[in-house]
Amino acid sequence: MKLRKLVFAVFGLLLLTTSGTSFYRSRHLEEAVVLSPGVSEVKKLGDYFEGIRGTVNDCNIYIMEGEEPGGTVFVMGGTHPEEPAARLAAWILAENAVMEAGRLIVVLSSNRSASLVTRVGGAYPPDFSIPTDWGERTFRLGDRWADPLDQWPDPEVYIHYPSGQFLAFVDIRNLNRTWPGRPDGSLTERTTHAFMELIRQEKVDLFIDLHEAELQYPVISTIVAHDRGEELAAFTSMMLSDMEFNMGMEYSPPSLHGLSHREVGDHSDAVSLLFEAPEPFLDATRGKTTREQLLTGKDEFVVKAGKAGLLFEKMDENGWPVDVRVGRHTSAVLMTMETWSELNPDRPLRCRGVPRYDEIIALGLGHWLHDPSAAPPERVEIE
Amino acid sequence: MTQIQTVVSFLYYLLVAYVVVLLVWNFVRSRKWDEEILYLIVLLPFLLRLFRLK
Amino acid sequence: MFVYAGLVLGVMVAVYIVAKLFKLSTELSMFAAALGGALAGGFGLPPRHIAEGAMTYLDINLIFITATLFMNILKESGGVAFSVRGILKRFHRSRTLLVILLTVLLLLPGALTGAGSVTVLITGGMVAVVLQTMGVSRARTAAIVFIIAGLSAAAPPVSLWAMMTAAGVNMPYVGFFWPLLLPCVFLSLITIFLLGWKGGEIDLEKALAELPRPPEGMGWGKVFIPLLVFGALIFMGRQWPHDTPILGLPLMFSCAAATSFFLSPVKLDFLKISRETIKQLLPLIGTLTCVGVLVQIMTLTGVRGLLAVTVVTLPVALVFATLFLVLPISEAVLMWGAAPVLGVPLILLFNNIGLDPIVALAGMSVIWPLGDALPPTAIIGRLTVDVVGYRENYARFLKACIVPALIIMAVGTLMVVYSARLSFLTGL
Repeated sequence: MKLRKLVFAVFGLLLLTTSGTSFYRSRHLEEAVVLSPGVSEVKKLGDYFEGIRGTVNDCNIYIMEGEEPGGTVFVMGGTHPEEPAARLAAWILAENAVMEAGRLIVVLSSNRSASLVTRVGGAYPPDFSIPTDWGERTFRLGDRWADPLDQWPDPEVYIHYPSGQFLAFVDIRNLNRTWPGRPDGSLTERTTHAFMELIRQEKVDLFIDLHEAELQYPVISTIVAHDRGEELAAFTSMMLSDMEFNMGMEYSPPSLHGLSHREVGDHSDAVSLLFEAPEPFLDATRGKTTREQLLTGKDEFVVKAGKAGLLFEKMDENGWPVDVRVGRHTSAVLMTMETWSELNPDRPLRCRGVPRYDEIIALGLGHWLHDPSAAPPERVEIE
Repeated sequence: MTQIQTVVSFLYYLLVAYVVVLLVWNFVRSRKWDEEILYLIVLLPFLLRLFRLK
Repeated sequence: MFVYAGLVLGVMVAVYIVAKLFKLSTELSMFAAALGGALAGGFGLPPRHIAEGAMTYLDINLIFITATLFMNILKESGGVAFSVRGILKRFHRSRTLLVILLTVLLLLPGALTGAGSVTVLITGGMVAVVLQTMGVSRARTAAIVFIIAGLSAAAPPVSLWAMMTAAGVNMPYVGFFWPLLLPCVFLSLITIFLLGWKGGEIDLEKALAELPRPPEGMGWGKVFIPLLVFGALIFMGRQWPHDTPILGLPLMFSCAAATSFFLSPVKLDFLKISRETIKQLLPLIGTLTCVGVLVQIMTLTGVRGLLAVTVVTLPVALVFATLFLVLPISEAVLMWGAAPVLGVPLILLFNNIGLDPIVALAGMSVIWPLGDALPPTAIIGRLTVDVVGYRENYARFLKACIVPALIIMAVGTLMVVYSARLSFLTGL
């Protein structure tokens, strides 16, 4: 019997060490960022709020000062790291954008903790790679919620600050349910508080939060706009739908609290927008959960759900490749800047070097991801 | 408040450690092979959390 | 993809059946099915996915363990026996009041812990003694304990079926209190009045002689203070959420357990009670852990997607008409695993056709526990007949459950069908 127990224990230990090693590796996988020539300064989130300094969420803040004065736009990627096109679009900005007028602030891992873990029960691959002109770049996939290793336990019910609205207990780790945050709250609440400080201290005029959504979710392929951003979003959506791809526009519901499109606009002078691109990988009806599905966005089961009229976005055998999703985001950001400049000529935002939708589809997004080994070390940052 | 929360988190690790001890104890005392396997399966997530791996 | 996922599903079902034929427990059969699925799907034996799946219900397992530890300490300190004897002495003349109080005793442990088995183990045995002294047959007594234990598990604040399904569709576990509480209380009362109303005069002396005696020094205060501690911690967290540290349910239950331990009039062996709690809970926490692994592998291989897309594209009338059968059967096979595997696509479907997902899920949650008396698992059913001391034919026990079960199925199904009209219950 002792021998039997020993054999079982050895198998158990083997499972523990192999799985544990895999989790450790993905939590410590380093992602390189080759700074665009337009990046004038790299700060840390902790520079804006001491309460986040040195924590896992003390992420990099990439600042691109324009050649001419203008407005300030803040583009946020990584709110939900399991929505990779949002992060990758921000990556393209950080590695390529040069501001001609105004200032661009970019964050790639706004909930860095959530980028270090994959969803339990979700069967996510730990990471994925994008082919480039010189090799490939590997990124962490991440989850929707911060890692419980960084924030534990969850409350019995999450009561949002300051609205007092009841939300799911797990959403206290969801960056897009904790805006505007509070200085002595949970890690995620402190993170959003720090971002609010950044928005106030850097006098951000326009805030854009990049996302992806499952096709069975009604808010998809759209711009969700705060009350003060309705005109901007309406023009942008119209221009995009006319010139590049179909893009909707929705109003941020005043009663839905904790989300960036509501709270950033309510608690700062910035106009807040949220962009959604379609990601079939997030659909509950998806088939095999693989890197291929994540990147090609092809899925027979989701197509079947679409034929039954259950989806809010079209879905066919071509799927939603990551290039298309990233292209939607970069084009939407550029178009928003253009519309902003027309509506606010005193605070223009002009940017060059960033590919639009058609260019990314033609050349692949990897074309705009640069080789860290070929860049000067001082121009490479780690996320 | 942040410091109190850190203490609460630490208490959770203590709680997990206690459950690990109990599971190991019962595993050692168990006489049924299927129960032993089940104890090990249940033990896995507690150990991964205790060692801060997941 | 359809053929591939269908084949993997076939292998999983086959492995499960074979494991069952070899008399493996349901938990291990599910684990074996998960491994079989991963192998058939071409993923080998993926340690990362096995471990990640096993992590899924870690927090729920902690809630289970601490809540049951609390209940066991209360029982060992004589608090439960004291309460049952007190109720019996005070109310033995009024059958109506007595059955209502017995219902509360049966509902409380499961509602707090989310586990019907905790109800059966903590108060089930003692309530059974009282019911039998009231002249209720053993088969009917077992049926009452089983059905109310199931409803107690579905009752708020902790309803695992609702929690797991809600988590699977990114829906907050909020607004469930009344949609779950009202049917659970109402159906429990119907059950106990239907099955326990007929009977003879209560022989108080005999009943008291059969019940365990509480130790000297046990009183109502010692029973209620730990519960008050738990209630106060919940209240503080809700009343002053931004000035109170986040304690989480496991620590709250631990505080209640510690209070009960320190108030106990007899010296308790904490370590021994803890070890026995783990032993007692092994089938349940084992099930949850193995369900996590199974669901992870089903998601990895696309089997979950296949089931989901099949369910959501079925004619709605067919779904409504078969809900009362499909839910208990899925529970009998997968136990709580039925919630993420079947509950998630059903709620997506109901949401898509304009039903209220919260009320619909509450309706489904009252039907699900009925499956806990059915083979192949029948864990709670078997546990109940053991605890109640019913030694006759298992089928007769099932027969005694039929009438209340049919009422529960009808109420649950109507809640789903009319969920949109009942959405006011959510208070949202």
